[in-house]
Amino acid sequence: MSEVSKLVQQNVEMDMTPMIDCVFLLMIFFVLVIDLSQKSLEDLILPRAVFQEPDDEPPENRPIINVLQNGSVVYNQKVFYDPDEHGRDFRNPNTAKPIKELLLAIRTQGVNEKKLKLVEEDIGGGKKILLIDDPILIRADKWTEWNYVGEIMKQCSMPDIAFWKVELALSEQDKETGEKNAKLGGQKQ
Amino acid sequence: MSAIDDAQEEAKADMTPMIDVVFLMIIFFICIDFKVLESKLPAYLPKDKGSQNTVVEPQEQLSVRIYVDNAGTPDYSKGGGSPGVVNPNTGRPYRFALKDHRIKWEVGPKPLYKLEDVKVELTRIARDPASQVKDAKTGGKKLMSCVIEAYPGTYYDDVAKTADACNEAGFAEINFGGGLGPKK
Repeated sequence: MSEVSKLVQQNVEMDMTPMIDCVFLLMIFFVLVIDLSQKSLEDLILPRAVFQEPDDEPPENRPIINVLQNGSVVYNQKVFYDPDEHGRDFRNPNTAKPIKELLLAIRTQGVNEKKLKLVEEDIGGGKKILLIDDPILIRADKWTEWNYVGEIMKQCSMPDIAFWKVELALSEQDKETGEKNAKLGGQKQ
Repeated sequence: MSAIDDAQEEAKADMTPMIDVVFLMIIFFICIDFKVLESKLPAYLPKDKGSQNTVVEPQEQLSVRIYVDNAGTPDYSKGGGSPGVVNPNTGRPYRFALKDHRIKWEVGPKPLYKLEDVKVELTRIARDPASQVKDAKTGGKKLMSCVIEAYPGTYYDDVAKTADACNEAGFAEINFGGGLGPKK
C-alpha cells in the first residue's frame, strides 16, 4: 500500500465518543428541565411537615391551584386573581369572584371532558347535590397569608363548586432553610 | 529513541470521555436538586355547606387558634429583588423570607408560645378519655375533631405546622376555620 492511501485511511476514522456524550447530555438536560408535567407547578417554597402523606402517584387529572406569596392565584401559569387588582378583603363578595369563576370553569371543563368524576350526595331534607369526587391540590408558598388559602378552601366547599376533597401541598424539605425530614415520606406513627 | 517515543505515547491518556462524564454527572445532580419531593395534607370539606336544613346534634370540637405575636419583616436579600417588583425571568414578584415572625397559640383555653408546648398539650388532650365523643356513623366512640382557626396575619407555614402537630398528637379529623379577614 502506498503512503498516500495510508494517510487517506487514517483521516476517515472518526471518534464518535464526544458526539454520543453530547447527545446523552442533551437528553438528560431536556428530560429534567423541560418536564411537561411540571408546567402547572409554580416555583414556590412549600412548608415542611413531618406527618403528611407522600404525593408519589398524583392523579393525572387533578387540578392544581397555585397561590403566590402576594396571594395571587395561578392556574396553568395564568394569574386569575390578583389582590392588588381585585382587593384583599373577602368579606366583600366581589373580591372572591375571580376565584369562584376559576373553580366553576375548572369544574365545568372537567365534567364536560369527563376528567372529573361526579357523585350524587343526599344532604338530607330531600336535597341532593353533585359533588366532585376527585381531589384538587392547593399549592401555596410557606409565606402566603392563610387568608388567601382559606378563601379558596371556602369557595371549594360551596355547593355549586363542591370540590370536597382538598389537598394542601407540603414538602418533605424546606428549601428556604434546608431543613429536611429525617425519614423521607414521613408516615403516621 | 524509538523505544522511548513508544513508551511516552502509551503514557498519554485521553481525558475527554472522563471530563464529559464528569460534566454529565454535575448537570444531573444540579437538575435533580430542583425536584424536591412534595407531599400533601388531605382535608375533607363539608359536603353540605350553605344548603343544610336538617338539625344535627352539635359535636364537641377542640379549638386551636393561631394569633400573630410578631408580624415579622420580609427579607428580600436571598432572592435579590425588592418589594412590589416583578422578576423579569419568571414574570412573578420576587420572593421574600419572613424574619422574626412569631405566633402564639390557644389550644382550648390555654395560651402557648412554643410549637413543642402545643404538641405536648395536644397529645395530653388526645390521650384524655374526656376527649372521646360519640361517633354518629358507628355509634361507638372516637377522638373529637379539632378546628384550626388562623387569625389575620398568620401564614400558610403557621397553619401547616399546627396541622402537623395535630396529626402527630393523633387527631384524625382536622378542620380549618377561616373568613377572619386579611392582615391589618
